[in-house]
Amino acid sequence: MMNSVIGIAVKDVKTFFRERGTVFWTIAFPVMILLLFTAIFGREIPFNANIGIVDYQKDSVTAGVISGFNQTGLFTIQTFNNTAEALNELNAAKLRAVLTIPQNFTSDLSQAKANVSLVVDGTNPDVSRLIRDATKTFFSEYYKQFYYQIHGVNYTAPITVDEEVAVVGQQIGYKENIVPGMLTYPLLFSSMVVSTGAIVFEREKGTLKKIRAAPIPPINMLLGKTLAAMLQTAISIFIMATLAYVLLGPKLTWNIPLLIPIFFLGSINGIALGLIISCIGRAPQEASNAATTIAIVLQFFTGMYFPIEYLPTFMQQMGRFIPVTYAAQALRDIMIRNATITDLLLPMGTLTGSAVILYAVGILLYRRWVEK
Amino acid sequence: MIIEIEGLAKYYGEVKAVDGVSFSVEEGETFGLLGPNGAGKTTLMEVLCGLRRFDRGKVTINGFDLNKDSLKVRGMIGFCPQETLLYDLLNVRENLAFSASLYSLSSKKFKERLDFSSEVLGVGEFLNRRVQQLSGGMKRRANLASSLIHDPPIVILDEPTVGFDPTIKREFWDLLKNLKNYGKTVLLSTHDMYEADEICDRVAIMEKGKIAALDKPHVLKKTIGGEPSIHVKVKEPQVKRALAVLKEYNGRLVDSEIKILASNPWQTMSEVSNKLVSQGIFTDKIEIVEPTLEDVFIKLSGRKLSEES
Repeated sequence: MMNSVIGIAVKDVKTFFRERGTVFWTIAFPVMILLLFTAIFGREIPFNANIGIVDYQKDSVTAGVISGFNQTGLFTIQTFNNTAEALNELNAAKLRAVLTIPQNFTSDLSQAKANVSLVVDGTNPDVSRLIRDATKTFFSEYYKQFYYQIHGVNYTAPITVDEEVAVVGQQIGYKENIVPGMLTYPLLFSSMVVSTGAIVFEREKGTLKKIRAAPIPPINMLLGKTLAAMLQTAISIFIMATLAYVLLGPKLTWNIPLLIPIFFLGSINGIALGLIISCIGRAPQEASNAATTIAIVLQFFTGMYFPIEYLPTFMQQMGRFIPVTYAAQALRDIMIRNATITDLLLPMGTLTGSAVILYAVGILLYRRWVEK
Repeated sequence: MIIEIEGLAKYYGEVKAVDGVSFSVEEGETFGLLGPNGAGKTTLMEVLCGLRRFDRGKVTINGFDLNKDSLKVRGMIGFCPQETLLYDLLNVRENLAFSASLYSLSSKKFKERLDFSSEVLGVGEFLNRRVQQLSGGMKRRANLASSLIHDPPIVILDEPTVGFDPTIKREFWDLLKNLKNYGKTVLLSTHDMYEADEICDRVAIMEKGKIAALDKPHVLKKTIGGEPSIHVKVKEPQVKRALAVLKEYNGRLVDSEIKILASNPWQTMSEVSNKLVSQGIFTDKIEIVEPTLEDVFIKLSGRKLSEES
């Protein structure tokens, strides 16, 4: 009894170590996760949001305010000439908040009655709360120090932060914020994992020979696999969306005609990535490990579990090159911001372009790795 | 010639899997590649099916260059490898439908081919059974049906009966022989000399990536295999005495039988029998054995094919 147990274990361990790809992904998984978490949460300030500042005063005092605001490290600042222009960017989800410094700010400051206005994107409760708290704290602390430097005594009355206006009229709760993120899950996991198995399992079983011996070009093979994976992904999305609707009842816009193309394009990208892994993977275990690792890493860029503002700025920039980030943002825009088709042209175009590129890479890899 | 191969070579680094092979196959012929494992048979077949690129040489199938018209060539070939390429969770009909889809068969043509598979290959009785519920023989028949679903003029079979018991093997040989009646050209690889002898019109003996000999089986046996032999089996206690009696015939004890080479086998058998009887040695068996393809392989390589495989 013991011998067979040890025998099986030894055989499995040997097999594991002889599948170099499996070993690689087994090591890569904890390394990548640890590096990601360190990059995200190992910083002193684990938050960075885009904020627009409109400075109507434009003097050395307000320049000092903006500089100080910048030095907090919490915000990436863009300056605007007028509030309307900044609010447009806010509504387009390019900014998380707009801070307006009025024209009489410096004179009001000397009379200890200065105020600023803050308009916050309310679509993510966590992010808006952090921005409001950070802004209030900044003005309180900054002017305590400012006043002391000028007058040599402590300043006790903080600057008033006047307005806090959510972009979306209705209150966005945790449920509303999390559901679009949850619906991104099948785009990564279902689509990628299903398609990852597609070719590597055929190869393992030998049935790939039958397909390759037939007079069909690689694109037919990849598209056939895509259709099957698409159906399985659609089932996952449908179940998840239905359960989210029934069990959580979020107050969201279920604009089906807009959601379907985003789900479609998002799935296509996930499937194409899975097929690429499947072409390269020499063993099912290796391909499965690779897909899991990549999917888990990519989910950090989607804002699925926490706002992308928690990512370091370089990672936020990296997210621009990851197709599923656009799908995730588009889902939020449709469901939370009532986005229209024109608002979605950029993500749709990006997702289509990336799908074309991924399939082209897939065909090249199929020829290089499968038809060798 | 439906298959023409000139100087075909396929290398894996330093290993010459197929090393300058040339031969041609006539339409309607059953052609065998006989050789031990590692001789290059499977690589050669996979090259012909478009599954592997080759490094040198030229392959023409039905007038089309394999390199230039790969897709056309693939459509003319039905490939049946040694492993069963069927999906366990699908039934046989579904598997055949899948194969038909790979060759863009119309529903009408598929139905015709399904009838052919049922009648000629005998899959009709288990068309609706899942592959995982089939016996080994049924799986092989379904596998062959899947390879023939698009009615290809050429059928390539890699070790089609490996692992079969003798009864199923013979059934399968009958199926393959019957394919000739439907005008199919069959190219099969095997390391079973009896299989090659039984069903092939011509046989190429492969050894280390090269063709060592190629001809009709009976010609190979006659020209390379050598003389027939007399096999004599006597009771164990009398073996030593029998060997002494048959000393002048250079009898050798092989696998508990005395083997004597004989250019005139009938006369030699008669003489041997009389000598043994006159010495009071009675035989359990005495027979003339013609040279086999195994003997041909031994002559060519100095090794036994059955042991190599």
